[in-house]
Amino acid sequence: MTDPSPAPTWILLALAAPFLAALVAPTVHRLFGRAAAFALAAVPLAAFVGFLTLLGPVADGARLTTGFDWWPSYGVRFSLLVDGLSLVFALLITGIGTLIVIYAGGYMKGHPQAGRFMSFILLFMGAMLGLVLADDGITLFVMWEATSITSFLLIGFDHTRARARRAALQALVITGAGGLCLLAAVLLIGGATGTRTLSEVVATGDVIRGSDLYLPIFLLVLGAAFTKSAQVPLHVWLPNAMEAPTPVSAFLHSATMVKAGVYLLMRLHPVLGGTPEWTTVLPIVGGLTLLTGTLMAVRQTDLKLMLAQTTVASLGLLVLLVGVSTDAAIVGAVGYLLAHAFFKGALFMIAGTIDHEAGTRDVTKLGGLRKLMPITFASALVAAVSMAGLPPMIGFVAKEALYLGLDEAGRTALIAVAVAGNALMLVIGFAVALKPFLGPEVHTPKHAHEGPLELILGPIVLGAVGLGAALFLHGFSEIIVLPMAGAITGRPVEADLHLIPTYVSTPLILSIVTVALGVVAYLALTPLRAAVDAVVRGIGWGPDRGFDQIVAGLVGFASVVVRVVQPGRLEAYMAIVLGLAVVTLLAPLLLFGELPAWPAFPDLTAQEAVVILIAVSGLVAVVVARTRLTSIVSLGIQGFAVAVIFVLFGAPDLAFTQFMVETLSVVILALVLTRLALGERDHRPLRQKVVDAVIGGGLGLAFMLVLLKITQAPFDRTLTDFYDTYSRTIAHGRNVVNVIIVDFRGLDTLGEIAVVMITGLAILALVRVKARTPILPTPETGKRK
Amino acid sequence: MAAPDPNAPAVDIAAAMVTAPSTFADWLLILPVAVPLLTGAILVMVRHHTHLHRPLAGAGLAILLGLNLLLLQRVVTEGPVTMMMGGWLPPFGIAFTADVLGATFATTAAFAALVATATAGPSINTAERRYGFYPFLMLLMTGVTGAFLTGDIFNLYVWFEVLLISSFGLLVLGSEKRQIDGTVKYGILNLVATTLFLASVGLLYGTLGTLNMADIAAKARAAGPEAPLVTIAALLTFAFAMKAAAFPLNFWLPASYHTPTPTVSALFAGLLTKVGVYALLKVGVLLLGNQTGAFSSVLVVVAGSTMVIGALGALAGSDLRRILGWLVISGIGSMLIGVAVGTPTALTGSIFYAVQSMLVMTALYLAAGVIEARCGTGDLRRLGGLYAVSPLFAGVVLVLFFAVAGLPPFSGFWPKAILVEATLAADLPWLAAAVLVAGFLQTLAVGRVWLYAFWRGGPEGTPDGTLQLAGIGRIEDPADRIALVGPVVVLAGAVVLMGLVPTVVGGLAEDSARGLIDPAGFTARVLGATAP
Amino acid sequence: METALSVLVGLFLATAFYLMLSKKIIRILLGVAVMGNGVNLLIFTSGRLTRELPPIIATDAYVLPPGAANALPQALILTAIVISFSFFAFLLVLAFRAYQDLGTDDTDAMRFAEPVVDDGPPQGY
Repeated sequence: MTDPSPAPTWILLALAAPFLAALVAPTVHRLFGRAAAFALAAVPLAAFVGFLTLLGPVADGARLTTGFDWWPSYGVRFSLLVDGLSLVFALLITGIGTLIVIYAGGYMKGHPQAGRFMSFILLFMGAMLGLVLADDGITLFVMWEATSITSFLLIGFDHTRARARRAALQALVITGAGGLCLLAAVLLIGGATGTRTLSEVVATGDVIRGSDLYLPIFLLVLGAAFTKSAQVPLHVWLPNAMEAPTPVSAFLHSATMVKAGVYLLMRLHPVLGGTPEWTTVLPIVGGLTLLTGTLMAVRQTDLKLMLAQTTVASLGLLVLLVGVSTDAAIVGAVGYLLAHAFFKGALFMIAGTIDHEAGTRDVTKLGGLRKLMPITFASALVAAVSMAGLPPMIGFVAKEALYLGLDEAGRTALIAVAVAGNALMLVIGFAVALKPFLGPEVHTPKHAHEGPLELILGPIVLGAVGLGAALFLHGFSEIIVLPMAGAITGRPVEADLHLIPTYVSTPLILSIVTVALGVVAYLALTPLRAAVDAVVRGIGWGPDRGFDQIVAGLVGFASVVVRVVQPGRLEAYMAIVLGLAVVTLLAPLLLFGELPAWPAFPDLTAQEAVVILIAVSGLVAVVVARTRLTSIVSLGIQGFAVAVIFVLFGAPDLAFTQFMVETLSVVILALVLTRLALGERDHRPLRQKVVDAVIGGGLGLAFMLVLLKITQAPFDRTLTDFYDTYSRTIAHGRNVVNVIIVDFRGLDTLGEIAVVMITGLAILALVRVKARTPILPTPETGKRK
Repeated sequence: MAAPDPNAPAVDIAAAMVTAPSTFADWLLILPVAVPLLTGAILVMVRHHTHLHRPLAGAGLAILLGLNLLLLQRVVTEGPVTMMMGGWLPPFGIAFTADVLGATFATTAAFAALVATATAGPSINTAERRYGFYPFLMLLMTGVTGAFLTGDIFNLYVWFEVLLISSFGLLVLGSEKRQIDGTVKYGILNLVATTLFLASVGLLYGTLGTLNMADIAAKARAAGPEAPLVTIAALLTFAFAMKAAAFPLNFWLPASYHTPTPTVSALFAGLLTKVGVYALLKVGVLLLGNQTGAFSSVLVVVAGSTMVIGALGALAGSDLRRILGWLVISGIGSMLIGVAVGTPTALTGSIFYAVQSMLVMTALYLAAGVIEARCGTGDLRRLGGLYAVSPLFAGVVLVLFFAVAGLPPFSGFWPKAILVEATLAADLPWLAAAVLVAGFLQTLAVGRVWLYAFWRGGPEGTPDGTLQLAGIGRIEDPADRIALVGPVVVLAGAVVLMGLVPTVVGGLAEDSARGLIDPAGFTARVLGATAP
Repeated sequence: METALSVLVGLFLATAFYLMLSKKIIRILLGVAVMGNGVNLLIFTSGRLTRELPPIIATDAYVLPPGAANALPQALILTAIVISFSFFAFLLVLAFRAYQDLGTDDTDAMRFAEPVVDDGPPQGY
């Protein structure tokens, strides 16, 4: 692999341009009306042309990087890499993007939020471009999630419909989960290889494959790739994403965003691919997806859903090929990815044009449009030929290449799957391209006529590209296919692609078989559709319903959890908190050997013992107090006993304050209790009493133990000695406690006074402010009272 | 002043007091506490002149923000700075020590408070103003700022109590039934928490003989086995975790945060729990780091479960502000990872998360206030149609939702990425998975709220394609509209900026983390600061 | 001496927390008052106890004699007493207000902020 060389700085501008265009899109739309789409399309077109100029150097093997430091101390750089893989994707995104912007202008004409729509499309384009060009793992993750977010906004564009909202949320949740997997994968890769820069990672060779982290990284990458690229069973969001307006389906959900997962697998192939896990799991999942997608497509009658399901299938085929991991299979994957982008984008646009002009997308309700929409018919036919893999389109070349890859790798089971899948793709391709156009004219909701320039331009261009690529195959292969394949495998790749087969090879035989099967199936489409439909209905359940069940289940589960952990009763809260406090204190005492030694019997004077006993009796009295008088008196007893203790142990100021405060407390308590009842007895049932006693007693015991432990150790008198020494000599006060309060630690006293002030104000507010009626403004005026 | 006593022994002042004169730069440490306190006192004096309240409070908060910014700038360039209250040498007097962590938190809190208070105009009626809304607010800021800047652990307790009683006042102002109910639960549970904190301060003093934080950090590391420091550390962690609303001590938050006016809710959401997080970081990592490390596996479980259960609570909610309360809790879990794991990367992630969470949660509660003002309800079943009516406001709220769920390119994803990396590097894959799972659940939760309140055309059951707004759907008075919506937009802008330019907050977080794991340096700077 | 007071502190706190686990708000508040006293005694004991000699410097002395009580915990407790009294007063008035407005002194019956919810979270899209 060549060393990276500096890329021209206009690439950063090319990446920023769609975002900037998105900011001004609504204004442009308001000012220019119909021409706005063309004006905005100039942005991706310029980028496309720019990227074309890089084809030469990249085909020669250059890898261009550029960027700027984003968060240097955390090692994140907003860096971009242009090599064969990212350049081809960038061309697809900007090229098809140009056509889509124009198409969207025509499709959304008259829609009040058309400007916003353009804005979202351009935002997505910028994010997708950033995704494929990103060189830094964190930047890749940011762009990946940005595509999920913009896709969410686009799918839910018609937001007042519940199905659209559901589809948007489903896509966000599924691809968002994949994004999280990607983040974890990027970080693990960083840990395993020491770098998060992809261009450096792919040069590390076998480091990841040989480390313990291979399996977690592999699974996480699969999580990201399979969600984004709609592999079974995570594919359900893709057909539902058809709720979006058709330009979105054509751009995101066929040509670009859904390929991001395949892009990821291709990008990491040099360091993750080739292992037994890779060559087993990917083909199996890909194959399943291929078959599921095509069978589900057969079942559909909505044009967009037919195309969506075959997109799922095509993605499965791509994953399968990348999974086989040989050079030839990779070439096949590259070829098929490009062919698919061209024909699927075109077919989606055609489906949208039919919908826009005829008013329905149901293939059973369309017919005879060939005379009314001849240009669309022609482009549809061209695209379908490519989809069916027939010459002279690039689809044929791609199919030959992928059959060659599977054959050379000797994966016969996969060949069978691929043949079956491709046969059904032929069916669907021609179903979309022929059924609405052939046959007698059918009455459609809108009077059908050919679409305007904006709508027909895209399919024409894509058809021309698909044909041109096949006709100028050698050049196409040299500057696009092989450099991309080389970036995927990590070394230069040789392949010999032919449009006209020179001899009867296995791939040719397979192609003939495929076409034969396909034609037969096409002729039997209606009974085939009925049969698949019957089977699906018979099974009854599918991942889509599963999604609803999972979401509902999660919400229900969450509701149960909340009801358990937040019971709503203060008593429960206190019990849990205090119970945990007991554990918090006792556990370290026991586990870390911090229990005190058994204390000597305390030597108390008679008066101390008496006061302590009085305090204890006060406590007991508070607990058993049943009448107001008893409770007030017992509160006083324990408080005054504490005050006397203070006197006995040399704290007269404290005793004084304690007397004052206790008196005030008793007075306020008496005032309040004249209004409140105390309750005849402590109403708790015995079981509750025991539990509460255990908790209370446990906490008391714990504090006692800690206090014993502390007081058994010698005491550091530094602070005390300081205050004793300097109270009079510097602070000019004889009462050391007072000096501490007003001088040494005066700030505490300031805070304490502030507390008293606020308490007074708060109590005043509590007493005086009348309860207002709802906190929310009245519905009529919108003002609070 | 008394005449000098001829019998007094000669005394060396320099052995007891700081002899160098204090400069304005030193005063920067105490002014952020003095200014709001003074403003609060003035506001109490002009209690009945309600027309003066807004300008005075606005001026006070603006000055506070300016002072905090100056302090932050000083601390970033010079390292931790100390000023001794009363001029007494440390550790004998009360130290005010601003390190990068405290200064960052103080500045962010001041910014959030200033922006949130702008919405108080339309939301707080005259009676509430007369009975102390603005004084409570200023004293709340005094307590918050004092807690962030003090270097003395008993002083920290005092500021906690100042902030707590002010929050009582704010919470109950209005005296609705919900508020009184909420205040009862909030009050008693928080009182238990601060009392346990006080008890542990007492125990710590009995063990180490000092209240100065730097001195505690030094002595705790030198302490022998006769000091039950792990138990004390556990109790301190418990008390702060309860203030920070960590699971399973978080009961008070969902019981009370949604009851007062949205302005008050927003202030609480942005400030209160973060003070607990700050204390946990300071005490758990800097002061008693070795002891806290002994039970770090417990903290790992607490952090993980807080994240996930908070997210589940948000998923199960049907009222806007109650959902936001659970999202606050979920965020706290992420902030606990720093204490649980203890590595510089984890601490950076947690601190970054805390700073951005202060702004995001304040903004979300204010946005909920706007929605309630427009539609007359916060019930998801009755909301709908907001995207069609005000797409720009909807866009701003979407930005905030994605920020809280940790989706790029908004501020929430940087700390999440750092935390995942830190937990993976510390060999805690389950905790990393918890971060990601919580992020997934949060995305689902905010996605649902967006679908119901904004995208859906009206209340539950509205047919496709129709628009049935609850309430009147707009705020009539344009001045009120600016006052209520403007702050949300400002905060959302800050959130976007933090996401696009992470180096500012990230750099502060990295500096703070470095400071936390360097207790020797901290101690040297504080205790040695006044040495000749 | 510290031993005896440590036991007393344990008893105070046990009583306080037992009371605070009650459903009736008045009992909770009685518990709050006892808890305040208990924690004050805890701080007092932590600072080590000396009998009877208060930390007051005699008129003719300039420093405290040895054996005088430790002044710092006393200052801390003074602050704590005032603060906890403030909170006690506020909570007492709050309890009174709760009884007036919510009609009950049983915290289990105070379900205004967190109502007993009948229908769960909204489902669907």
